Amino acid sequence: MQKYPLLVLLSGFVALMSVTASAAVNLPKTVKIEPDKPEAVCPKGNAEWREATKIEGVEIQESLRCHPDNPAQVAIEVKGTNNVSMDTLMDTYYAADAITKTNDMDGDGDPDHIIIKLEVTELNGHSPDFNGVVPTFDIAPGIEPGMWVFAPKSRGMATRSFVGLEANPLLRMPSPPIRVEQGDVVWIVLENTHYFPHTIHLHGVDHPWIDSSGEGNDGVPQTSDKFVLPGQSKTYEIRPRQPGTFVYHCHVQTHVHLAMGLVGMFIVEENRPNNWVQTFNVGGGQVRHPSKAVLEEYDSEYDLHYHAMDKELHNIIQKYNDPRLIARDMNRRYDMTDSTEDYHVLNGRSFPYTLRESIIVAEPNKKIKTRMFNSSGELLAIHTHGHKGTITHYDGVEHNPDAQVMRDVYDLAPAQRNDIMLSTADDGLHSYGEGIWIFHDHREKGITTDGMNPGGNVSAVVYKKYLSEDGLPKGIGENIMPLFTKAFHARNFPVWQDIDEWNSLGAVDATGFKNPPPAVPLMVKGPMTLAEAKRNQAKSANGGNNSFRNFLVGLMLGIFAYIVVINREKIIALISSKKGEA
Amino acid sequence: MKRLFITALSFLFASAVFAQEIEDHDNMLMDHGGGHLMDMGGGMVMGQNLDTLPGGCDKIAATKEITVHAGHKYAKKFPGRMFAFDVQEYQFEPCTKLTVHFINEDHVRHQWMMHGLPGYLYPKGMFHLEVTGPGKVSGTLILPPGDKTYLVHCDLAQHMEKGMKGQLKVGKGSGDLPSIPGVTEFVVQDDYSGAIPEKLSYNQPSKSSSAKEAAAKKQPASGDSFISGVMVVGLAVGLLVAPFLAKKFKGMTAAEVAAYVFELIKETINFTVQLVNSLIKKLSSGKAS
Repeated sequence: MQKYPLLVLLSGFVALMSVTASAAVNLPKTVKIEPDKPEAVCPKGNAEWREATKIEGVEIQESLRCHPDNPAQVAIEVKGTNNVSMDTLMDTYYAADAITKTNDMDGDGDPDHIIIKLEVTELNGHSPDFNGVVPTFDIAPGIEPGMWVFAPKSRGMATRSFVGLEANPLLRMPSPPIRVEQGDVVWIVLENTHYFPHTIHLHGVDHPWIDSSGEGNDGVPQTSDKFVLPGQSKTYEIRPRQPGTFVYHCHVQTHVHLAMGLVGMFIVEENRPNNWVQTFNVGGGQVRHPSKAVLEEYDSEYDLHYHAMDKELHNIIQKYNDPRLIARDMNRRYDMTDSTEDYHVLNGRSFPYTLRESIIVAEPNKKIKTRMFNSSGELLAIHTHGHKGTITHYDGVEHNPDAQVMRDVYDLAPAQRNDIMLSTADDGLHSYGEGIWIFHDHREKGITTDGMNPGGNVSAVVYKKYLSEDGLPKGIGENIMPLFTKAFHARNFPVWQDIDEWNSLGAVDATGFKNPPPAVPLMVKGPMTLAEAKRNQAKSANGGNNSFRNFLVGLMLGIFAYIVVINREKIIALISSKKGEA
Repeated sequence: MKRLFITALSFLFASAVFAQEIEDHDNMLMDHGGGHLMDMGGGMVMGQNLDTLPGGCDKIAATKEITVHAGHKYAKKFPGRMFAFDVQEYQFEPCTKLTVHFINEDHVRHQWMMHGLPGYLYPKGMFHLEVTGPGKVSGTLILPPGDKTYLVHCDLAQHMEKGMKGQLKVGKGSGDLPSIPGVTEFVVQDDYSGAIPEKLSYNQPSKSSSAKEAAAKKQPASGDSFISGVMVVGLAVGLLVAPFLAKKFKGMTAAEVAAYVFELIKETINFTVQLVNSLIKKLSSGKAS
């Protein structure tokens, strides 16, 4: 090396030249990101569940969506677990004592004493045995926030089967909409299977403050109720006199317990003869056995439960196994006043999964009843494309029919319910005609999943004409397959990949790329603008300051070194003498 | 085994007490065939096998009965757990005919579920007892041959994770399963750093001592910042200057030392100001030319 310094220098220079030359003409290349294999948009199976049917004497409406409710499950929800055959019961995950319906007290052909058993289930919780969550419930591909829900009492395993970790179909977000009939004697039995205390508060539902035994019946630990501790149970007694769309939720550490998912819709249906109502509508969405009163005015009915989650809260239960640490973080460390909602779900799922479960299936000239409920922490602004709905009820109370308003944006305060009549009459007002008309939150973060769009609480009113055989909208827009990958939701996939033949908005691959020195403009014409002049001045001033400081530092160091050198003998002597002393 | 025997005995004596409140589902169960029994109160047995010998078993080696208690209160001796069985480990000879009396003392569902059994005898390879408490349900199975450790647990969401987990060894077993309360450790451990409660004291401000403690605790943790660059420079300067000062202050009184130090500081400031002034002048004149 020593022998050929010039050669080394030259070759280095040449190498540098070639790099700068190529960089100067080429920006980094575009690469195509290979996504993970997309899931089926609608996984096959149980196609026969979509048909209208009759099980155990229960009329079950057709449900043309990709994932329809299991008709056997609907039959049980209508008849009660005590009034169906063992075969029907075994076709579901219901416990034998989940819903007990007896005693036609008014002799009108339907049972009036209803016992509903609810358990508390953790979804996507921690495991001390492996790095993963159990049992799983994805709100979107690969998105698994920890959640708590009230769940109908089930039997057997928490998972769908003994292979895999997916939660069984009764264990899901949201806490299920519950339906009872006006005047029913309803016992709601909370069996607290969870590791924290909980209660149930019946928000808006007519209920006495204390029950028949004098115990608290309002669910509020600060005033009426003892905690329902882990492993304990408690029965709430009600006989609601007023119909409407109401709410039930846990009232222990409500700010976080409600946000974690312990909140659901509670609907009191108007009293009618022979009116067997569907006690649970697991997963919300279409009600496959609407009540008599609803069918008098409407053709179909949908429960739309909107919720939102702050991942910082929902990840706490995934961080630890020890319930004491979870309680510490959730009750004392988590500050909800600093929170932001990251996941926006409709009936427990975000787009695109909402397409499988929460579409509204429409036909021309029909009337659809939707019950919208907001359990998120912020105001919602739900907008329907292609339709202007009529708000018939606020918080379960009918709005004066003469003063009812039509809207295409429905604002829902936290905990508020709107009953909305959607008419599909193609008159340019109620409906603009057939199509795939999405409906969604118009706060734009609501249409994202942790800030990634498309996502959030988007779903669609889909006219049958545009519905495929397996219950999916026959869209004529862009390919939605990439949305069914984990890569998309993990932000690894360019949203606009392959929008044209040479992927002009694809991902940049700057491996090994280094920006060349910037080009120098050939000439500057005309006088400098004031702003430019100022910028230049500032630049030089900064430069001057820096070098001045550096110089000072250098000077000081020099002086110091000088003093040291001058006094080196003394110092050495001192040091050595000190050494000697030591 | 001895422990199990004692448990069983104690149950016999205690049963009279329990009889009042614990609902016995054994007589309520309906046989639905295939080893599946169920009642309308939520009692359930799956994988019941009274008489079919598993392949490899010539005969029933022994007939045993155990009583398993389950509930929140059994987690008391395991801090950081919420639900548990009263016993975490069992061991039996291969081909033992085992009857399990499962007593759930909580007011919710619990299960005693055993996994990994031969699938041709036990649907899904499972033997499963389930009952809503307070209640009792019993079931019987014949254990397979061979040395193997079987997981027994409650499969309600988070019940196993929060403590309701045990292991049943047939023969010598095939090792230990993780995260069994009082027996084995977690695979994924919790982070307990920072879980040391501060001593609360509103009347006596013992801040200084607690601050000291905190500082003492912090020092070893912040190993990399301890020898920071500035500190090294300070140290070096101090080492260099100290001998001079020592020499200088020999025989001076404290007041004299203080006076001298102030003098020194004054001179240093004067010198620095002059230096900066002259430098700025130099620089500005240099720029002007």
